Amino acid sequence: MTDVAEPDPEEGGPAVEDGDGDDAYLAQVMVEIDEEVRRKRAELPARVERELDALFLEHSPMAGRGGDLGDALRLVETSAFIDPVVPVASKRPAGALIKKSLRTANLWYVGWVAHQVSQFAAAVSRSLRLVDNRLVELQRQLDAVAVPAAPVVDAGVAGAWWTEPAIDALAGSTGRVLHAACGDGWLVVALADKGVDAYGVDPRPGAVDGADLSATDLREEDPGEHLHAVASAALGGIVLSGVVDGMTAGQRQQLLERAADRLAPEGVLVVHSVSPAVWHADSAPAEVDLAPGRPVRPQAWTLLLPGWNVEVVPGPNAQDYLVVARR
Amino acid sequence: MRVAFVTPRYGPEVMGGAETAARQLAEHLVSLLGWEAEAYSTCALDHITWENVLPAGDSELNGVAVHRFPSVGGRTVGFYALDGRLRVAPAAATRRQAERWVHLNGPVVPDLLDAVAEAEADVVAFYPYLHYPVVWGIQRVDRPAILHPAAHDEPAFYLPVFRDTYGRADAICYHTVAERRLVQRVHRVADTFQMVLGLGVAEATPGGRAGGEVLGIGDRPYVVSVGRVDEHKGSTMLASFFLEYKKRHPGPLALALVGPVSAELPDDPDLVVTGVVDEADKWDIVRDAMVAVSPSALESFSLVVLEAWVERVPVVINGTCDPTREHCERSGGGLWFSSYAEFEAVLEKLVGDADLRRRLGERGRAYVDRYYQWPVLIERYARFVEAVAARGRTAPRRPGVLAPGR
Repeated sequence: MTDVAEPDPEEGGPAVEDGDGDDAYLAQVMVEIDEEVRRKRAELPARVERELDALFLEHSPMAGRGGDLGDALRLVETSAFIDPVVPVASKRPAGALIKKSLRTANLWYVGWVAHQVSQFAAAVSRSLRLVDNRLVELQRQLDAVAVPAAPVVDAGVAGAWWTEPAIDALAGSTGRVLHAACGDGWLVVALADKGVDAYGVDPRPGAVDGADLSATDLREEDPGEHLHAVASAALGGIVLSGVVDGMTAGQRQQLLERAADRLAPEGVLVVHSVSPAVWHADSAPAEVDLAPGRPVRPQAWTLLLPGWNVEVVPGPNAQDYLVVARR
Repeated sequence: MRVAFVTPRYGPEVMGGAETAARQLAEHLVSLLGWEAEAYSTCALDHITWENVLPAGDSELNGVAVHRFPSVGGRTVGFYALDGRLRVAPAAATRRQAERWVHLNGPVVPDLLDAVAEAEADVVAFYPYLHYPVVWGIQRVDRPAILHPAAHDEPAFYLPVFRDTYGRADAICYHTVAERRLVQRVHRVADTFQMVLGLGVAEATPGGRAGGEVLGIGDRPYVVSVGRVDEHKGSTMLASFFLEYKKRHPGPLALALVGPVSAELPDDPDLVVTGVVDEADKWDIVRDAMVAVSPSALESFSLVVLEAWVERVPVVINGTCDPTREHCERSGGGLWFSSYAEFEAVLEKLVGDADLRRRLGERGRAYVDRYYQWPVLIERYARFVEAVAARGRTAPRRPGVLAPGR
């Protein structure tokens, strides 16, 4: 048995070490299976496949992976043919004979109706397939111009100059305080030491791994998705550090609107950002070149948060700054 | 520290993931940490009829004080009519309809609610989200409440009555990240204090007989599916898939379905349905299986998948079940299917490739060893419970609320 390590149930890549090149081997196995599935779909009798797949879907999750459009279309296509030759097996004596007689007597009529229904279903199925093809093509084109997620850059570390003013701004918060991106939880712990009920999320794979995940509430989650799952006016404070710097104007606006909605009326929004000049310095990390946006100057925050009381605390050497906003 | 667990069924006879998890957590808190644990439950073993078969009153089981209360209501014909109507668009159900659904689903145990409200525990843990004792109990306790949802992506999960169940929890303990994702997609409780824990897996306790001997099939190779043999658990689908597979791949391979049976399956020499077996027989059967299959789409953790990996048996799971798929993707110990064609391709590959089976089994075992050992898990859970106790009752409660059935 291997050593028992501190469990890390948070997601982020394979959880088991690759042994003997297993990852590559398994990837190859999956490719082979996919090829085999395509071959089997061509040879399986349509009715058998339709009945078995319908059985599979019967107890599939409401909105799970079974909700894939391609799979749904495949089911439509395999269901498009209406078979007028009904089964005649029976457990009762002479049952099969009676059923067969009824089938023979009605086949001309049922067959005529079934033929038209099948034709209609096939036309609908073809139309849906055309729509799907168009959607796939649109998706492919959109992917080429899609805005990538902004990287987390300089989310802060324990002892950062802005720790104290951030804690001062959040002291006395009545609701929970969210820190994104929280890293190993250094600010969450510092806030907790001051009696603030804080927790953190971080989208970077493995960022929260070093923390004691049972005593400190840290999770590997995207800040935007996380806020989506928080009720309106639920939070006493939100700290965003290293999160908005590289966002596009649209991404930033969406996140700020969501944060504003999730904050209680007396809630405090704290944003730490680097200055734009730092972003363009040779010493800036490589991630900034890949970021879809760039940081804004401190004075822009009064425009980004209209109606808020915005206080800007400049950092040493004008490298970065802290925004404390209240409504 | 004293923890009270509220769960609709409790005991070693109960075959249910959530109920087993509650009992294992309670017993390990007692045995590994010396904490006090108690369970508030019903006299029922059957999750449909809720028939009172165990004696009401107080008893002790493996160091856990058990308080049982008779159910005054189980499922009736009315349940199925309402369920059929609501499952089409569960989120659109009215609050009144949803409360009615909870009541008809049972078990209706008003005395249990009174007792839990008076419990002198430091923390009350509710397990799972779906039933009357949890739905109404979590609203009435004045002690800090942890909800262990054991949530599945099933129609009932979307009924509006459960908003309050999640909303009244001071803390939520998930089995998997996939379960957390599901809950947070539907309920806006992401800011609730929480953790992802899972369950520990015990070492195998085999009886020493060959699996084929236990099954009565001699040397025939077989794949196994352990758990409730139930239509909702995918057993009938698996049986149909396997019989079609056998039509297209004649040979000695058999399918063993091990667990309590509530589904009608075809009488076929390739299907071996054992009913309930003891632990030693179960481990013997699992150890000698070529592959273990979990056909269920509705799991929040799936202990049987991890138990197969204890014996280094590769698994095949339902690809639409996010939690078991999370296990497979993270461990590399199993494959999945989302259609018959995929099932056939995956099974054919595994049955024909001993090296693939070995590699998957080893990776599954490594995953279990690394993440799902009780001593580590119970320490993490204990720290979580202590934090919940220290935080106190933070979620709003409705002390005056009266559950239907009063």
